[in-house]
Amino acid sequence: MSNTLRPYLGAVRQTLTAAMCLENFSSQVAERHNKPEVETSTSKEVLLNPVIISRNDKEKVLIETSVNSLRISIAIKQADESERILAHKFTRFLTQRAESFVILRRKPIEGYDISFLITNAHTEQMYKHKLVDFIIQFMEEVDKEISEMKLSLNARLRAVSEAYLAGFN
Amino acid sequence: MSFRKIDIDALEEDALGQDELDFQEIGELRPQHEVESQVNNRAQEVRSLLQRGNAAGALTTSLQDPPYGRNFGVAKARNTQTVMEVLNSIKVAEVPQLVKTLGPQEQDVLMKYLYAGMAAPEQNNSGVLLAWHEKLTEVAGQGCIVRVITDRRTV
Amino acid sequence: MIILEYSNRIIEDTLNARFNPENKPKPIEMSFVDFDGVSYHLSTLEGQDTKLLLSIRWKCWPELVSYGANDVLQREYGPWITSPESGYDFSLQFDLENLGADPEELIKKVGLLKRNAMAAPYERAFDAQAMAEKEENWDPSSSQLMAVHYRDGEAVYIQHQQDRVTVIFSTLFKEETDRIFAKVFFHEFAEVRKKSIFSHCPQVLYSNREPPLEIRYVPGLLDSESQGYVTFVLFPRNYIPGAVREETISRIQIYRDYLHYHLKCSKAYMHSRMRARVSEFLKVLNRAKPEDNSGEKKLASGRTFRRS
Repeated sequence: MSNTLRPYLGAVRQTLTAAMCLENFSSQVAERHNKPEVETSTSKEVLLNPVIISRNDKEKVLIETSVNSLRISIAIKQADESERILAHKFTRFLTQRAESFVILRRKPIEGYDISFLITNAHTEQMYKHKLVDFIIQFMEEVDKEISEMKLSLNARLRAVSEAYLAGFN
Repeated sequence: MSFRKIDIDALEEDALGQDELDFQEIGELRPQHEVESQVNNRAQEVRSLLQRGNAAGALTTSLQDPPYGRNFGVAKARNTQTVMEVLNSIKVAEVPQLVKTLGPQEQDVLMKYLYAGMAAPEQNNSGVLLAWHEKLTEVAGQGCIVRVITDRRTV
Repeated sequence: MIILEYSNRIIEDTLNARFNPENKPKPIEMSFVDFDGVSYHLSTLEGQDTKLLLSIRWKCWPELVSYGANDVLQREYGPWITSPESGYDFSLQFDLENLGADPEELIKKVGLLKRNAMAAPYERAFDAQAMAEKEENWDPSSSQLMAVHYRDGEAVYIQHQQDRVTVIFSTLFKEETDRIFAKVFFHEFAEVRKKSIFSHCPQVLYSNREPPLEIRYVPGLLDSESQGYVTFVLFPRNYIPGAVREETISRIQIYRDYLHYHLKCSKAYMHSRMRARVSEFLKVLNRAKPEDNSGEKKLASGRTFRRS
């Protein structure tokens, strides 16, 4: 399956780079407000077509773009119960630290595990290509981290069971 | 307090509705039965081209004049299926060559169908679509992707 | 520390200090706890600093007594037993001026107070099985199911058959994470037992929600996803009287706390891993921020200037 990982991440990278053309845009609905249009979705004409990039039916990315903001939601691979709980714990851990992860959305979009919200303020303060790098690296490492955690959990519990059983005669 | 929830902007005369947005981009809509019969005819044509081994011809034919607009759910699904059949039957090695022969219009339409296909990973083989996406971006560039996400004529 | 200690460390340490003849006796008043909701009270008698009183309180004490705990305790602590202090279930009294032949041994024994009380139903079941094995027409209905409700919502059930003794723990997983980690644990447990060097070990079965056949008829079992049942099947070779039997009893007793202890450890480990990973991610994200050039610059001469 790893042979689809490279084109998958490649497609996400290209799409993100293409979609991340954001500019300052004041709300058309409320005066002197400036909100991420992708979140408020009050003006249809500034929302662009959302696109989904999928690797299989478990792993996919939803990219929603608007004139001044972009929302990217990631569904992480969860093969079994323990991976599901680890992914859930990990994303929860991250969202609790959303304050320092400026682009992290505190709540994922329904059907996905974690969402990022990038606004024009972020792209003005930070390098766009590095932001894309971050997302890609995140997607790469999150899978790796979860499978590593699962392995170490199994190994640990195995050692524990061995130690316990070794006491019996 | 329910009056606060009323969307008063929608009642205004020059409010921009979805129909108007569609009209600006797509123009006058054709009658539904005409579109559906066109899509069905094309599906048969593409299939016969594929059987004769003419992959390039099948690809360009399938990308002609796709159904746009909100009312053509059935026709859109049918046409997406046709395009997916073509994409799945072409060997990976031939993809770069084929992509280069497409015109810019066709490249954009193909990119639209690639994203449409990936949106339904249960039905389509995402691996194949990702390979196509990679090759198409190499040739058509990111502009092609931008045109897909900005174009209101969705497939 | 992979294996938990069988004894209570606080009792051992305190008594060690007290029993040392070099330390002058002085008044003491200590309340402390052990696993499974056990509370202890250690005090000196009013005006008699040389008389130490150790009391234990446990929710399931009446049940343990009905399974013969008093006999076991009489055997272990005979001369030290005194009438229970009010509010407690059982008390031991020591006279610092008369500690018997081997104070060291006594301290060890006292440290195992909880373990010995809990050993009663096990010993009874093992003995009953040995009797049953000799009978030709053993009647299965004569076997008594001994239930000890040692924690809120959790219990251990012990029953003997003609050729074996089954011990069933009902345990409650408060969090879904615990439940799933426990599943992984039992899976590994079963894998480990398949190895030939562990084949003599008792068989361990796990079921979630569904109670095992032996206790299915017991009323009041909680029917919920968070309930798990662990069954140990012990064969006579696992409890040959003597050291083997004592070790088996101790080991089974720590089972529940051992499992939960390691589930907690695993969670703590996951947490520290995630913490490390998150700070990695943060570093990557911060790389996207351009470096701040507005700060003061220093010239070679040591004077500073500000770039406009």
